[in-house]
Amino acid sequence: MKALILMVEDDPQIRRFLRATLAAEGYRFQEALTGEEGLAQAAAHQPDLILLDLGLPDMDGIQVIRRLREWNKVPILILSARGQETDKIAALDLGADDYIAKPFAVGELLARIRAALRRSSAVSGETGATTLKIGHIEVDLERRIVKVDGAEVHLTPNEYKLLQVFIKYPGKVLTQRQLLSEVWGPNNSEQAQYLRVYVAQLRRKLEPDPTRQKLLQTEPGVGYRLLWDRP
Amino acid sequence: MLTLTGVDRHKKLWIELAFATAILLVATLVALAFRRVLAPTNLAMIYLVAVVVVAVRSSSYVSVAASILSVGAFDFFCIPPYFTFAVGDSQYLITLGAMLVVAVVISTQSARIYSQREEALEKEARADALYRLTRTLSSETRVFEAARAAASLAQEIFGTHVEIFLPDDGKISFRRRTKDQLLIPQSEESTAQWVFRRGQKAGNGMNRLTDTKAFYLPVRGTRETFGVMAVLPDSEGRIFHKDQQELLELFAQQAALTLERTLNQRAAEESRLRMETEQMRSALLSAVSHDLRTPLATITGAASTLRSQGDKLRQATREDLIESISEEAERLSRLVSNLLDMTRLSGSVSLHRELCPLDDIVGAALLRLESRLEGREVTTVFSDDLPPVSVDEVLWGQLVLNLVENAIKHTPESTPIELRAGSTDAEIWMEVRDQGPGFTPGEEEHIFEKFYRGSGARTAGAGLGLAICQAIAQAHGGAISAANREKGGAVVRVTLPRTAT
Repeated sequence: MKALILMVEDDPQIRRFLRATLAAEGYRFQEALTGEEGLAQAAAHQPDLILLDLGLPDMDGIQVIRRLREWNKVPILILSARGQETDKIAALDLGADDYIAKPFAVGELLARIRAALRRSSAVSGETGATTLKIGHIEVDLERRIVKVDGAEVHLTPNEYKLLQVFIKYPGKVLTQRQLLSEVWGPNNSEQAQYLRVYVAQLRRKLEPDPTRQKLLQTEPGVGYRLLWDRP
Repeated sequence: MLTLTGVDRHKKLWIELAFATAILLVATLVALAFRRVLAPTNLAMIYLVAVVVVAVRSSSYVSVAASILSVGAFDFFCIPPYFTFAVGDSQYLITLGAMLVVAVVISTQSARIYSQREEALEKEARADALYRLTRTLSSETRVFEAARAAASLAQEIFGTHVEIFLPDDGKISFRRRTKDQLLIPQSEESTAQWVFRRGQKAGNGMNRLTDTKAFYLPVRGTRETFGVMAVLPDSEGRIFHKDQQELLELFAQQAALTLERTLNQRAAEESRLRMETEQMRSALLSAVSHDLRTPLATITGAASTLRSQGDKLRQATREDLIESISEEAERLSRLVSNLLDMTRLSGSVSLHRELCPLDDIVGAALLRLESRLEGREVTTVFSDDLPPVSVDEVLWGQLVLNLVENAIKHTPESTPIELRAGSTDAEIWMEVRDQGPGFTPGEEEHIFEKFYRGSGARTAGAGLGLAICQAIAQAHGGAISAANREKGGAVVRVTLPRTAT
């Protein structure tokens, strides 16, 4: 059965075209017009994914994320017309899965939905594969070997740890704070400078041209994302 | 103290008299010493010299008194019979008469010169006081600060305690006095208020409301009374002397005039600024409304065509219309984000600066541009020793994106775009080079202006992209410039001083 998607969005026109798009893709969906309604429906219907607008009439979308995350791990995809990086970071740090700015193209939205659904199903049932192929690189998780175009590259322990975190959340935007605390522990979440250095090093080892981000994408002011649709 | 008060004058008279007496005494001693050697007519010359010496240093009363005394002394000591005022030989009467006339003439003439000098000094003192006042006040644009400066200057010049009170809500209030102002008693608030309302002086030593410690002068310009000057006389009461009063009033008036001028200037400046803002807003409004309406018109038109005549149209036409709706919506979206960026940047920008590798920023920008690059060849040449740059990652990314987008917009689809970056000792630079038609002569001067649209754009924008780039570069302390390349095409160069990194 196709996934159940809950959209929490107060604008009727956006709901209208989302409805059309989701129906065309065969998803089942529920609609909520306010934050309270959204929280209630999330509890009642146990959706597989939530599309959440940040500018709701009754409460801030950030608040909705916080309350949802108290008891639920459902992937949350933020739709917002606010362009501020601080909003994105706040939403992601609170546990939103992804962020898509209005206006957006439908193709982009569907790709993000697919990626988020795939991630959540992978988390619930680990694939167990020990080697991964991500574009032109190959990672042997068991032996900790990374190959670029078939040739082995040496990664420092921290670089490898960083790559592991990215692989754990393929396609998801990871904020600087999240990356830092995953790699260096929760007490080092403020040292953004470290992170830039390690990401730059990792990128140089894995990508032929750092100005063409095919593997590790920078989300300016927010964090990084591994561009990978896990099969 | 720059001017003479009554008390000083009194003292000075005694000094002058003492001086005159001393000189006459000396003259008499000299005359007595030479009495046997010289004829009395020559001894008279000694007294005349004494009169001249006294006259150049004294006021006219003292000089005339000295003249008469010297004639008396001459008669008493030098004309036989000695030690009487009797004149033995009547020919000496002529000597005495002539001496009196000469002494009086000399002393009055010298005294006139003396008093002219005194007057000149007094005038100079006044001019100096007023000049200092004007100079002090002209650098103050705030009324409160100006009043404080004027009061402290008055205090210095007049040697007595002076405060200036400004009205609060149209009334003089003593409730919020500063520490110094507390010397002026609360009970005199009504007097100050009276002076402020009437524009006339009153208080201690004046003609009205004399039952106060201080006296009050209005600080009055040509149109309005700005406040009240409160003067606390010291125990000697020098401030009540006529000259001091005149100067004080002149001082208050001058303070008011200067204040008035400052305020007028500020009002003129404000209205000029308001007008400029108004002009800017109307230019912005007309540009924006045009730029918003054009794509909206296309979208509305295409959508309504599809709705009303959709089934009569050929499939290809329908697709065309749908395509244009989507393209115009995208254009609208870009315009709105540009306007938002511009608005954000025209206020005070708070930069979130961090050291970032430039290739990281450029990479993210190119990724965001992917769909618009349409397979266009973009090469990046960054020097290996390029240090990380201290910039606001988001804004700098926007700058890169706008520059590349601008190059895409103004060059044929088949031509490549090149990004270069490098550094010198002083700065880090980045260039976006294209092989399009370049700028028409003189155009490169204007392309960074808001709402300026290049001549050869393939798609119309709002003319904000490069203005945003410039705003971002400048907010970082950097600069942006444009030129034509030697072999054709345009180059836009951004520089960032290393000191800012």
